[in-house]
Amino acid sequence: MKYFQILILVFLALTLTLSSCKKDDTTEGPEAGTVVLDFDHVFGPDQLEFSLNKEFTHPLLGEKMNFNIFQYYVSNVRLKKTDGSWYTVPESYYLLDLSKTDGNKIEIDNVPGGEYTDVELLYGVDSTRNVSGAQTGALDPANGMFWSWNSGYIMVKAEGTSPNSATGTFTFHLGGFKGEFRVPKSFTYSLNDKLVVDGDREAEIHMISNVARLWHSADKLSVKSSHTMPGQIAKTMSGTFYDAIKFDHIHN
Amino acid sequence: MSFYNFRLFFYSLLLAGWFISCQEKEQSFVLEYPDYFPKPVYGFDNNPLTREGFILGRELFFDPILSADNSISCETCHAQAHSFADHNLTFSTGINNQTGLRNSPAIINAAWQPSFMWDGGVNHIEVMPFAPITNPIEMAEDFNNLIRELNEHPRYPQMFREAFGNPEINSQKILYALAQYMSVLVSKDSKYDKVRTGNADFTEDEGAGYTLFKNYCAQCHVEPLFSDFSYRNNGLADVNGDTGRGRITLDPEDNFTFKVPTLRNISLTYPYMHDGRFRNLRQVLDHYSEGITAHHNTDPSILKSGKNGMNFSETEKQELESFLRTLTDYTFISNPHFSN
Ligand code: HEC
Ligand code: HEC
Repeated sequence: MKYFQILILVFLALTLTLSSCKKDDTTEGPEAGTVVLDFDHVFGPDQLEFSLNKEFTHPLLGEKMNFNIFQYYVSNVRLKKTDGSWYTVPESYYLLDLSKTDGNKIEIDNVPGGEYTDVELLYGVDSTRNVSGAQTGALDPANGMFWSWNSGYIMVKAEGTSPNSATGTFTFHLGGFKGEFRVPKSFTYSLNDKLVVDGDREAEIHMISNVARLWHSADKLSVKSSHTMPGQIAKTMSGTFYDAIKFDHIHN
Repeated sequence: MSFYNFRLFFYSLLLAGWFISCQEKEQSFVLEYPDYFPKPVYGFDNNPLTREGFILGRELFFDPILSADNSISCETCHAQAHSFADHNLTFSTGINNQTGLRNSPAIINAAWQPSFMWDGGVNHIEVMPFAPITNPIEMAEDFNNLIRELNEHPRYPQMFREAFGNPEINSQKILYALAQYMSVLVSKDSKYDKVRTGNADFTEDEGAGYTLFKNYCAQCHVEPLFSDFSYRNNGLADVNGDTGRGRITLDPEDNFTFKVPTLRNISLTYPYMHDGRFRNLRQVLDHYSEGITAHHNTDPSILKSGKNGMNFSETEKQELESFLRTLTDYTFISNPHFSN
């Protein structure tokens, strides 16, 4: 029995030293770090700096619009390494919310050290999470981005005031994850350069998102009509908006 | 105590701890249902069923704290005596005496339902309570406000700790607890079930009604849950602009179809249909017998027997009604574990 105890102690001591040795090894390569995705918001062909509570003009119809809510989901971030393999960020759901300081930024911690050449994003929320019951974090229904009567996430929410609308307000809640009216859309952007992740070293990806693109589709949607359900309009508006989100540059 | 003896003692403590935790697991709640029921749709995947979770869900279900002015609980519109449907109201009364456009359904065997609401708009039992809690005409509550109130409550933080291991209250835990409570509301002790398990016999009328039921009704109201959870048009006239399933799928083919409801405890849940248009079972049978209005998508099985319906004789209607009454589960509506 005593031998057995000693054996266990020796084994424990060995594994402890071995695992601490391993730790020492890793400090030699690049260390895990934080990648920041920074979305710069602009409005219209002139790329006016976008912010809430500021007057803008509808890109096609000339209607005035002043936003008090602008929120949308980005999810399922993946980063491509120089060796061609992909790092898939776990539990990767983010709600961009322009009413919050830094609400336009996504911070991804614990990205393995190394060099990355591409980023893949899903705008919206994948269908699985739309059908998987009560979620938390960015997907918490208490965030006001979940339709209770027709289960599913509101993937883009834009609300504000407009003198051109009969009610004085406009409300666009866009989402839907089923069949032909599927809103979530995936994009891969080449980073042009190598994004280096190594400990505290800065690693930022800058994107440009043009809010006016929501209203830039061929059917010339007016702020006079609000939309708060899945369907063709949600798909068209979100689609033109997502399509126009551009990669700009990286900061390393 | 020598060093090694001490270690031995320590290991045995560890082992004992492990056994105790295993035992606790064994004591944990299981969903009980007869072997002729299918497997439930809800598997408690991220929300393991426990006694404490169920008790918390029950407390929440009966507590008006879930509404904006603390006046309305789930039970206001889903009462145990009525198999968790409303108190025989056509339309339920929510906050500030507002009413909606649909009849409050019974909550029975919810763990077997792939979707909820008359139009199936809610796709998961866990997000189901989110609808009434936030609906401006039902409970009109803001979740963040509810979480604040629960945190300040003398009992809830402790109950959340017991149910989920820590006292933090968030929307997910509220929804998890309510899902546990609703899932446990299993109705399986009606006379129909006793006949199935060989513990009772149908009367002659009931037996004849059962045969008719199998011929005319069971293709939609599929045994033993009495629904196939599909969406159908059963030939109701003037469907009042409520497009039903079509509102969810946006497919015009689905307009005016509604979820096939369970018929368990049907004698307790009048009035009937999504808009509560029929006061009693006789009116329902009259409808199926001679009151069918054909819409473009009325189910062919309803139309097959004749232009206006299934043409039941007076005796057949009585027999069908006798059978439907065998689906009443008095054990369920008086089960003390279901009420707080
Ligand atoms: C003001 C009345 C009212 C209150 C309060 C209320 N409900 Fe309901 N409930 C209804 C009505 C009406 C429906 C049917 C709505 C529809 O189909 O559009 C319904 C549907 C349901 C269903 C779907 C049943 C099925 O077979 O599809 C469940 C489950 C449910 N409610 C649970 C709850 C819970 C849990 C609460 C408390 C958090 C609650 N309800 C509070 C009136 C109410
Ligand atoms: C084609 C499928 C189908 C067949 C066949 C059918 N039903 Fe139904 N039944 C439904 C649907 C769908 C509803 C809900 C309709 C609505 O509310 O708009 C319903 C509703 C009911 C209701 C009201 C339930 C409630 O909770 O309000 C009763 C009772 C009922 N059926 C009994 C019967 C009987 C008895 C038969 C046979 C004589 C029968 N049904 C045949 C599809 C069917």
